[in-house]
Amino acid sequence: MLRRPQRASKLHQRVMNTNSLTQAPWHQTTVEPLEYHRKFLKENCRPDGRELGEFRTTTLNIGSITTADGSALVKLGNTTIICGIKGELAAPPADAPDKGYIVPNVDLPPLCSSRFRPGPPGEQAQAASQFIADVIENSEMLQREDLCIEKGKLSWVLYCDIICLDYDGNILDACIIALLASMKNVQLPEVHVNEQTGLAEVNMKKKRHLNIVKHPVAASFAVFDNSILIVDPTSDEENLSTGFITVVIDEEEKLCTVHKPGGTPLSNEKLQDCINRAITRNKEVCKLLNKVMKSMKAK
Amino acid sequence: MVCLPLDAGAHKFRHMADRRLREFGCEQNLLSRPDGSASFVQGDTTVVVGIYGPAEVKVSKESYDRATLEVILKPKVGLPGVAERSREQFIRETCEAALLTALHPRTSIVLILQVIHDDGSLLSCCLNSACMAAMDAGLNMRCLFCGVTCAIDLDGNIILDPTAKQEKESRAVLTFAIDSVERQVMMSSTKGAFTTAEFHQSIAICQKAAESIFQFYRDSVGRRYSKS
Amino acid sequence: MSSTKERVGCVVLPGDVLTCGSELPEGKRDKLICGPGLRRDVDDVVVCKSGILRHKEPNLYWVDSQQTRYVPAKGEGVIGIVTAKSGDVFKVDIGGSELATLSYLAFEGATKRNRPNVQVGDLVYSQLIIANKDMEPELVCIDSCGRANGMGVFGAGGLLFKVSLGLVRKLLLPQSEVIQDLDSMFPFEMVVGMNGRIWVKSRSTQQTLIVANLLESCEHMTTAQRRDVLRRLSQNCL
Repeated sequence: MLRRPQRASKLHQRVMNTNSLTQAPWHQTTVEPLEYHRKFLKENCRPDGRELGEFRTTTLNIGSITTADGSALVKLGNTTIICGIKGELAAPPADAPDKGYIVPNVDLPPLCSSRFRPGPPGEQAQAASQFIADVIENSEMLQREDLCIEKGKLSWVLYCDIICLDYDGNILDACIIALLASMKNVQLPEVHVNEQTGLAEVNMKKKRHLNIVKHPVAASFAVFDNSILIVDPTSDEENLSTGFITVVIDEEEKLCTVHKPGGTPLSNEKLQDCINRAITRNKEVCKLLNKVMKSMKAK
Repeated sequence: MVCLPLDAGAHKFRHMADRRLREFGCEQNLLSRPDGSASFVQGDTTVVVGIYGPAEVKVSKESYDRATLEVILKPKVGLPGVAERSREQFIRETCEAALLTALHPRTSIVLILQVIHDDGSLLSCCLNSACMAAMDAGLNMRCLFCGVTCAIDLDGNIILDPTAKQEKESRAVLTFAIDSVERQVMMSSTKGAFTTAEFHQSIAICQKAAESIFQFYRDSVGRRYSKS
Repeated sequence: MSSTKERVGCVVLPGDVLTCGSELPEGKRDKLICGPGLRRDVDDVVVCKSGILRHKEPNLYWVDSQQTRYVPAKGEGVIGIVTAKSGDVFKVDIGGSELATLSYLAFEGATKRNRPNVQVGDLVYSQLIIANKDMEPELVCIDSCGRANGMGVFGAGGLLFKVSLGLVRKLLLPQSEVIQDLDSMFPFEMVVGMNGRIWVKSRSTQQTLIVANLLESCEHMTTAQRRDVLRRLSQNCL
């Protein structure tokens, strides 16, 4: 039952509206989820109390996996993604003998949500892996030449395993943040190729960080009812949305990817709104990342 | 390609002549088994599509309120990999927005695309052929869509409908699906980095190019029905 | 309405808007009946299939499109193949996305004791009594008075083949030119189902095959070409 809100300050009013709306009978959320969400959108807010342009709280934990060369755990509200990077030695590709490889892989196990079944990776996981690979290549966050140890003979291969532990919508954003944070955390040992034996000698004592030149950050939006754009959708909002768009932008305001896999058509103004919001998001995430890296160094 | 001389004052000229689509052609109803089929040719890039539907669906995949759309993209050589899955997702989501799937609940619509030859702009050729096949099968659609690709080369010039060679030499390749009702962007797939201004400029160029593709759809359907 | 009348006979594509509800003043709005291929979107009539726009007085509009896949619609007479007998119903394949059901009591003179003689694999000409997107289609072999009226099991001998839905509609026109032309050749029996299935039977196998091939190919021929083929055939065969 909707109670008429009394006159109060805007924030108090919004909180009161949310409270009265969340007291909707339980069957309304399951039988008519669209109507339930529409009631909130009319008041310009969402069931969890966020505004239309507000991201969920992002928490970041770096270096939790000691067996990996670099790792990061990201929580975006309830969505939890963990990324582990392992460096291995291999011969460089024949068509680019002075470059190394970066192999990302996104895994959506049945653990994170009931919609995924055990077995080979489904379409969503494969499309997400392709998306991450494209972002790494488009943004040039890392020069592949840096991964080469000796031209034509030996180079590093970085296997990035991104696993979702809890699926509550918007995994693409969280995956990019996790990848970026773990890349900054990676420490690769020095490797020399012994000329006489031709074998690689790894010096585990001397380690150095990777040279990350760009910091791409993703911002995802869902389109509701063909017109309303909401930022950082949860799993329920994703299921009800009519379209989806992800914008990846780096700190120089260069667009790395505009990923819109079909769905409702968007006008140019709405696309520009998304880009603007992505720019502010980039600044927020870079600030968070710097704070965490500083606190790691302080240890 | 018209090459204009560079001024001594270090201005860059834009190549005006590269704002043209390559020659395109299409054939409908070329396969006898599927409910609808089409082949679309853009320059040298050729894609053949067969569509089945609305047909029976497995109980595990059925949806109570709409048709289940499945897209299978077969590359010219080798087994389908992660890149094909990503393209299948783009094509599937675009078709779902254009087809009226709510009119056929608990059925399946299957689109099978076979790449015959890839000479650049593959995703837009797939989208165009998928749209023609859906029209050929007589499926109910909310609007038509067409795919347009453009590439931004190292000098900042925008090339429309690039060949494979032009795609390799450019720093960014953008593919858009434009809808026929309001000429807005339905799908966007990008490769490489670019500025916001270049993004909006590419969209404007692709929207203009979409006009000629929609006119081509109208002409080819007109030709088909004039025979009967 | 005038703009819609102008487009009759022209090719229309999905997404084309036929009338704009806001253009006409309140008093002048007429009723417009949307046939297949058209749908209502708030105040506008929007095309959803590609084809030619047709009109029938006073206010019926529809889109004539070529299609192979059958979508069940109420009231159409279809040829079905019996695939299973389960309890009191027969499961019949009519070429749609689901199997249709045909109750054993829906035949002329059928009672609980007097069951109709229908086996798995038989051809049945019946009418769709329930056919919408939400329910399983249902067939009956009797009309509203309880008489068979040409419906029921048929098909001893003969050949069943599939054509496009456009050809079937052409054949079922009251003064179909194709049927008139074929009449002059040799006698044959024909059953035409709206689901794109045609059954023919003639005196010998060769004649049956000739009729079947003719019907399949006359979809893509103009009237002149068809008459030409028939003339050559009659000179060769008879």
